[in-house]
Amino acid sequence: MKSIRLQNLTKSVPEGLVLNDISLHIPAGKFFALLGPSGCGKTTLLRLVAGLDSPDQGEIYLDEEEISHLPIHQRPINIVFQNYALFPHLNVFDNVAYSLKIQKLPKNVIEQKVISLLESFGLGSHIYKSTSQLSGGQQQRVALARAIVNEPEVLLLDEPLAALDFKLREKMLLELIELQDKLKTTFIYVTHDQFEALTVADQMAIMNNDGDIEQVGTPKEIYEFPLSSFVAKFVGTTNILQGILHNVDTSPVICVPDLGSFAIFMPNKKSWIVEHAPVLLSIRPEKIFISKTQAPNFSNVLKATVESIVYHGRSTQYNVVLKNQTKLQVFAQNEEHFPQEDIDYDNEVFLHWQKENAVVLER
Amino acid sequence: MKIRNVKSSELPFALATPAILWQVLFFYLPLFLIVSSSFLSLSDAGRILGFTLHKVQTFLQPTYLRVIFSSICLGLSNAFLCFCIAYPLAYFMAFRAKKKKNLLLFLIIIPFWTNFLLHVYAWFYMLEYNGVLNQILLQIGIIRSPIPFMNSLFATMVMMVYYYLPFMVFPLYSSLEKFDYRLIESSLDLGASWIHTLRHIILPLNIRGILAGFFLVYIPSFGEFAIPELMGGDRQMFVGSVVARYILGDQTGSLGAAFTIIACLALMLSSAFIYYIIKKIFTVRASYVAKN
Repeated sequence: MKSIRLQNLTKSVPEGLVLNDISLHIPAGKFFALLGPSGCGKTTLLRLVAGLDSPDQGEIYLDEEEISHLPIHQRPINIVFQNYALFPHLNVFDNVAYSLKIQKLPKNVIEQKVISLLESFGLGSHIYKSTSQLSGGQQQRVALARAIVNEPEVLLLDEPLAALDFKLREKMLLELIELQDKLKTTFIYVTHDQFEALTVADQMAIMNNDGDIEQVGTPKEIYEFPLSSFVAKFVGTTNILQGILHNVDTSPVICVPDLGSFAIFMPNKKSWIVEHAPVLLSIRPEKIFISKTQAPNFSNVLKATVESIVYHGRSTQYNVVLKNQTKLQVFAQNEEHFPQEDIDYDNEVFLHWQKENAVVLER
Repeated sequence: MKIRNVKSSELPFALATPAILWQVLFFYLPLFLIVSSSFLSLSDAGRILGFTLHKVQTFLQPTYLRVIFSSICLGLSNAFLCFCIAYPLAYFMAFRAKKKKNLLLFLIIIPFWTNFLLHVYAWFYMLEYNGVLNQILLQIGIIRSPIPFMNSLFATMVMMVYYYLPFMVFPLYSSLEKFDYRLIESSLDLGASWIHTLRHIILPLNIRGILAGFFLVYIPSFGEFAIPELMGGDRQMFVGSVVARYILGDQTGSLGAAFTIIACLALMLSSAFIYYIIKKIFTVRASYVAKN
């Protein structure tokens, strides 16, 4: 269990710059998720940490030790690839035992370690099978077992669940969390799937398309308090209104053309928070209460027309349009079999939200 | 008129007819003639007199067995040298060359398309007493007087390796090209050195390509006739030259056939042995097998 620190890491490929001066601290023993859109360089970052590629500039530290130039096989860091990369000519046992045999451990120690690990992964009856006889989820477990059997300080996971179906993915996510809890190894999990990242991570970083890190924090911080519109839009769904700041020092509001002004909440002073500054207001769809009649005790109310309704089972998604033709999404929890009021297409509705539940962002 | 109803399952056989005819006429029939003429004694007029082992026995003596042994050695050393040169090349082309891949393939194919005699003359020019190689060595000062490279085993080997290299490169390249590079990365990542990865991951998974390349080179170079004749002079006899001498000689054709039979047997046995050895070297056996 060691921490990873990246210092001004830069990497370019012939096609262009992939990573741009990245500095990031990944705390020891944490489940860290690196979330970003496809092609944003997150896999490149992982490959640099693993030692599969070397950075153009910058250093990588494992705790206090600089490992940027340590050859790949000497780094106590293992990686689980997206396609598992199991050795097809070796059976399950030999795949998992691969790293232990390199260390020349005694045969009985290897057997004992590998078998007990495979048994704890529910693969006890598949030890001698060829890897091609296993299902996707089982292959995934073998790949995991192979990567953790020699107790690395850091485990890197490159979209490890991308090839699995949704149900299995949910199950594997929980197993991964449990495993990390047990091992206390530092996990770095790369994904483009925000659901996976939010589920597994203790800490997460969001990367944008330019190879920069936009924000680092706990999943809750990232989701509830995004620092940029990129993060707000990329993690989860959100509604964005453009407006101008007013009354910054007394009771701040955001004035949105054609819609009026809305009370906002700004707990932290930022340099860009000044009178008349152009800003964005991000409101998550589930933070909006939708009803046919206006409800009391909300700091903000807005009129809208329902355009379409999508029924999701546990929630219903209302796509509404505002007076200025801005389109918003609203999620309502389906708490009741027989709701008090039915909202239908073309209904005039009221959208309400508390000012604390919306986030003001720099434009 | 009644139209014959061709069943769909008969069609594939019909399609194979030209190939089968070709195969029978130009392979099985000649093979049959070779086998029969080596075990039958014929009168001068060509009438069959009876079965005989005499012709085959003629060749079961040290002189001829030594020729067969030299051919095995020639084939083996050629295949081995080709492998040693071709493997790094194929590896480079498959994993590192990227855009230059096609250019490299093309460069390897060009000599493949060139007339055989042109190869021979090119190498004459390189290796002869006043040839390019001697001139270079003299210029650098490594040697004081020219070395007679031609008409030696060295010249034979140079030409053999040169000529057969593509036969080794292509199967190795095509099997390495399909290789999932992440397996190599996985192995290194799990703490294996590069040599360990080569020995335990790359070569074992490459065994088909290695076997294909090895036999594509070994089998024809075992029977190679032209290159040892032209480059090696008469220093060393190989199977090809002996067969040619008897087949082309007066009234000795059936002896040539008999020797061919023996050489073929030796080739098959040695191939089986080599196959077994290569398999043995490169196959990784399960280290831990279920008890009971």
